[in-house]
Amino acid sequence: MAIQIYGIPLSVAVRRALVVFKELEVPYDLVTVDIIKGEQKSDKALKNQPFGKIPYLHDSDNDLTLFESRAIARYIVGKYDKSGKSGLLPTDEVDAARFEQAVSIEVTAFNPPANGVANELVFKPVLYKKETDQAKLVEALASLNDTLNVYETILSKQKYLAGEYLTLADLFHLPLGTVLTDMAKLNVLTTDKRPSVQRWWKDISSRPSWLVVKADTTPLVFTTE
Amino acid sequence: MVLKLYGHTHSTCTARVAAVLTEYKVPFELVIVDLFKGEHKSPEYLAFQPFGQLPYINDDGLIIYESRAISRYIAAKYRSNVSSAWLPLPEDIAKTAKFEQAVNTEAFKFDAFASTAAFELFWKPGGPDAEYAKKLLENLNASLDAYEVILSKQKYLAGDELTLADIFHLPYANLLHNAKHINLEDEKRPNVARWWKELSTLPSWLAVKDGVKSPA
Repeated sequence: MAIQIYGIPLSVAVRRALVVFKELEVPYDLVTVDIIKGEQKSDKALKNQPFGKIPYLHDSDNDLTLFESRAIARYIVGKYDKSGKSGLLPTDEVDAARFEQAVSIEVTAFNPPANGVANELVFKPVLYKKETDQAKLVEALASLNDTLNVYETILSKQKYLAGEYLTLADLFHLPLGTVLTDMAKLNVLTTDKRPSVQRWWKDISSRPSWLVVKADTTPLVFTTE
Repeated sequence: MVLKLYGHTHSTCTARVAAVLTEYKVPFELVIVDLFKGEHKSPEYLAFQPFGQLPYINDDGLIIYESRAISRYIAAKYRSNVSSAWLPLPEDIAKTAKFEQAVNTEAFKFDAFASTAAFELFWKPGGPDAEYAKKLLENLNASLDAYEVILSKQKYLAGDELTLADIFHLPYANLLHNAKHINLEDEKRPNVARWWKELSTLPSWLAVKDGVKSPA
């Protein structure tokens, strides 16, 4: 295949990129990076991703190496949906501005508190065997609820975050949102108290592309060879 | 109708947008939002910017918030106003990919730590949590070490052309560097120093860095 994605199936950031491949039915090879052994910090990996993170991509069609899941997502849409038929990455001046606004909100208002909550409730206990910091959890949850209350206002007036059509801005929420809902068992995205958020989350989280990505739960255990 | 920029003279994110408006020669009117009176949390303000933050623009009826979204909109709409665009053409897929990589790098490897540290050190009611601020600055410095590697191979964060990805750093980089919480001129990172020297002396930044105002 032309495109190789370096990462692991369970990684939030890897999944953020993979869902877009699935939306556009673009094939890829997922090349395992042994993060338990710290392979992402090896000299070889750092040449491709100088911050030592996953995912990163290599496209043999043009020898392009790329990191940052949202950049990878945009690249795939730009390369494989030139006609813009998917609507995932608007190019019209006004639609694009509203899209960039929505993407920016995901980055600055959703991701930090969602990650804070996921870290305290899931990543620390499950991956790092560390205790939850209750004070940090409370703060992150409050901030997340503040954000989602604003989402409720926005989504009560339009179907998706950038307007009436689904875009990457909505899809970018899926991996962390699923950790919160499925693993931390929180109802922040599903509560009846925010019916528009509930409607939106149900819509995006039941997309076939996401269900396929979510189903790959190949665990973080590697055999050494 | 002249573009209206709703923000504040000394707001970091207002300055980010003002630098881009200045570079792209777009006339604008700065409408001061009275932060001290809590105007940004008033129902009238929230109707336009539902997160209660600064800035937003009103461009002939089009309301856009989030400084980086506004910046991209300006750079796309007024592309023909400048000879060296700060935004690659979408048709150039490889350049655009590297640009998006750089913009995301600024968001997650710089701003995530820098803006949080700035809040902690300058504006948090009750004063900073010293341990937390220290950790944030350590993370920021680790990112700058990676920047050193990147900038040793190319002139700017997205490649060999200056883009919005570099510009986006300015407000918080300036704030933290001037207050000596980070050292962007550290000789141990000569490429970061070279990059910062050029960035921090750009005319469009110099025009806004000490306070945003409506251009004459």
